[in-house]
Amino acid sequence: MSDHALSPSAPARPRIPAVPGVAVALVGLSVLFAVASPGFLTAGNLSNILVQSVILLLLALPMTLIIMTEGLDLSMGAVLTLASLVLALIVVATQSLMLGLAGALGVGLAFGLANGWLVASLGIPPFVATLGTLGAAQGLALIVSDGQSVVGIPRFVRLVYSGEVAGIPNPILIGAGFYALFHVLLYHTRFGTYVCALGGNREALTLAGVKWKRLLISVYMLGGAMAGVAALLMTARMNAGHPTAAIGMEFDAIAAVALGGTSFEKGNGWIFGTLMGVLTVGVLRNGLNLMAVPSSVQVACIGVLVIFALFLDGMRSKKS
Amino acid sequence: MNKLKSNFRLIAAALPVALLSTGALAADETIAVFTKNQTNPYFQTVRVGAEVAAKSMGAKVVHYIPTKPDSIPEQLSQIEDVIVKKPSAIVFVPVDYKAMVPGVEQINDAKIPVVNVTDRSAGGKFLAFVGADDYSLGLETGRYLLKEMGGKGNVVILEGVKGSLTNIDRVRGFNDAIKENKDVKLLASQPANYQRLQGLQVMENLMQSHPQIDGVLAANDAMAIGAIEALDGANRKAKVIGINGTKEAIDAIKAGKLLASGDYNGFVQGCIGTMVAIRSLRNEAIVNEVVLKPTVVNASNYQPYDVPLEARTCPSWADAAAMATKAPTKTN
Amino acid sequence: MSLAGDVSAGTPRIHLSKDMQQLLYRLLAAGLLCVALSVATDAFFTANNILNVLRQASLLFFLASGLTLVILTGGLDLSVGANIGLSACLAATVIKATGSPALGTLTGLASGCAIGICNGLMVAKLRIPSFIATYGMLWVLHGVTYYYMAGETIHGFPPGFRHIGSGYFLGIPIPVYLMIGFLIAGTVFAQRTVWGQQIYAIGANPMAARLSGIPVDRRLILVYAFSGAMAGVASIVFLARLNSAEGDIGEAMTLPAIAAVLIGGASLFGGVGSVFGTFVGALILTLVLNGMNLLAVNASWQPLVTGVIVIFAVWLDMVGRKRS
Repeated sequence: MSDHALSPSAPARPRIPAVPGVAVALVGLSVLFAVASPGFLTAGNLSNILVQSVILLLLALPMTLIIMTEGLDLSMGAVLTLASLVLALIVVATQSLMLGLAGALGVGLAFGLANGWLVASLGIPPFVATLGTLGAAQGLALIVSDGQSVVGIPRFVRLVYSGEVAGIPNPILIGAGFYALFHVLLYHTRFGTYVCALGGNREALTLAGVKWKRLLISVYMLGGAMAGVAALLMTARMNAGHPTAAIGMEFDAIAAVALGGTSFEKGNGWIFGTLMGVLTVGVLRNGLNLMAVPSSVQVACIGVLVIFALFLDGMRSKKS
Repeated sequence: MNKLKSNFRLIAAALPVALLSTGALAADETIAVFTKNQTNPYFQTVRVGAEVAAKSMGAKVVHYIPTKPDSIPEQLSQIEDVIVKKPSAIVFVPVDYKAMVPGVEQINDAKIPVVNVTDRSAGGKFLAFVGADDYSLGLETGRYLLKEMGGKGNVVILEGVKGSLTNIDRVRGFNDAIKENKDVKLLASQPANYQRLQGLQVMENLMQSHPQIDGVLAANDAMAIGAIEALDGANRKAKVIGINGTKEAIDAIKAGKLLASGDYNGFVQGCIGTMVAIRSLRNEAIVNEVVLKPTVVNASNYQPYDVPLEARTCPSWADAAAMATKAPTKTN
Repeated sequence: MSLAGDVSAGTPRIHLSKDMQQLLYRLLAAGLLCVALSVATDAFFTANNILNVLRQASLLFFLASGLTLVILTGGLDLSVGANIGLSACLAATVIKATGSPALGTLTGLASGCAIGICNGLMVAKLRIPSFIATYGMLWVLHGVTYYYMAGETIHGFPPGFRHIGSGYFLGIPIPVYLMIGFLIAGTVFAQRTVWGQQIYAIGANPMAARLSGIPVDRRLILVYAFSGAMAGVASIVFLARLNSAEGDIGEAMTLPAIAAVLIGGASLFGGVGSVFGTFVGALILTLVLNGMNLLAVNASWQPLVTGVIVIFAVWLDMVGRKRS
């Protein structure tokens, strides 16, 4: 997608903005809620926000990479849902979490491969290709579950989500681990450099003898695999598999990535921005709930926040 | 005279204190009401019922509704957020009766009393369950339609969202009603996801492949009204039933377009659920289970439903207690 | 970059013959689908069912035709479904309050158009990427609509008004006439007017368009205003058709509308696509749903079948494009 409204030429290397809109929003909202709602600034609640944000973060991290390649993955929420159901079915049948996780990752990788193949090899625009696989994953989710929740998952699966190590909840550790992994992957490996180049500089890659199609497929497979990991947390959280559990979550992830300052063209990605984007959404939802703001107003607030943060970014890039 | 004056002063001094203390008591009782979405009129009736009950008992209601309709992760997050706020009690409609169990357990762990309304949760500890039996609702409404059809003819079913408890039970009820009549033929059972437009378009398509449709069983009112529009558009006649007893359905019944709508009264469910929650806080007697009898609203009995929501009144506690279906036991 | 490269390499307005070839491929896909359905079920190839499919496709087409212009400029409008919701509710309120369908229709169109202009201003003046600007707008509109409606519905409109959605003229549904009207108007606008050509040029190469003196910002705002206005049109037809307004009325329409534009051969990179292609795209999607209902395909399989057909249709289109 080319939104020419953005600056026409930008460096292909990740660029860290001076004071990004998302940081303003995150700090501003946190201060606002801390003043307005006494429950907000407690250890319990802050840990709440982090834990709630992890599943979205797991999707938003690979989404950042995919968007950096001028791509998009609309199938992520549906793939997460399908993987969660497969995981639940396997765990119920075999009582083995490892087999279940393997199944979920398998589903994720298979859909990632399909997405990557459609986009890289057949040249189908990512939006359409992943819209199609979204339908496929959603349909398969209904078929394998017959439209019903999958229950009877052993209690120990719950511990993946509700357990803690050294007083820190597991989801936070998992989220932090994957954040670190993606940071290293993007900024300290050749893979990361190539991914940055995929967005704005595909010819250079070809000239350098890099097989960019294979690289692009692997980026989508990474996205699928992360949907599989997120499926583990989602299943553990609900202690069930549900055929519509994560429908539409891909748009939340895309919004968080965009909120974090990653642009839809030229490989401008910023992993820390994505983290802040995810947290901003988490803080906003939590704070509004604590203040008992009516749901309809919350809905509007999310829209205003997204527009406002991107507006700030736009103002800044205009000045520079 | 002096004495009188001092007495008066005493009363004058005591009055605000008394007022304040009751006021403070009322303000302390905050009931968090969880419903599934902001778009289905049914949940609006539950919410208004809860508000009317709480107002009459001097308590406060705060609503929590997922910003995305029926979102499981969002309702789980809302529970976590609400636990931070510690409301006095919770009236809870789970977006999914199985997947929300961990959420209910979190509420139990936080020792907040909770009443289960509308969809019976598959687990967790509740003060009470107040709801209706979707199966018998589907069965009774279906039976009424088939009786009006003279026990024979061709029917189609418009299903709601696949996998939702309400849909599974209502459609099972429809099917069992159809099985009771061996001269009734089920032509098709297709999903229209509780949506009006889909109800209309699916009905249009079904009319193409089936030249004779005598009855339509829709799992909610929006789809039923959509189907009626489709029938009108094609100048065809069929008897249509819906479920929920929404205002729109009542108007359609009055106009003779809709045969009937099965109703289990979300307003009363909201009332009783909230009354149970508040009474338990005040250590008053409560009931543990109320399963409302389905009413098939038709042209002869729609009058009580033809009243704006805000003007309706909750049943008295005695009436509510009389509806209790089970001896006080744990609902689990 | 290869995709974007292909597009920007082409001239803004490509030769008609190549376009015709493209359209033929797409019509072929629709034709194949029709043949398959006619073989599979007797109920398909009847005059009634054809009119039925056209009428159902018209609702999708109204949305998708406005979107086509937006996508031609390389943008996207995710707010169209939410726009229908709010516009329909406002129009319904006005009809109920004043008893005048004309005023109500004006309200729906004005509200749709106003929302579109807001989108256009955000994209053109505030430089917010269209995907995000309209996604934010989607949430704002939902919030406003939910707040305004508070879970209620507004229903029961005068028969004259209902005619727009459910009436017939000479045995053909009124929405089908509207669809044909907008199809012709949209095609003429896009292919035969200076503004239409400028829209193609902006999508093909925004920098070049700006340098060649095209008022890019104004054209962008115009395009989003069109898209919003078409959502307003759709809201009125919806209202007349369903005889009822509720907050989530257009909810399930956004992604199918985008899919219709893309199946119709438009590229999200801008500069490629046509209103007629979108018409065929809307037709293909509607045929798939109609066919699944006629064949009584199990509910669980329907999303899967739709997804596979979307990919297949676009792939077929790509193959055709490579050939020509």
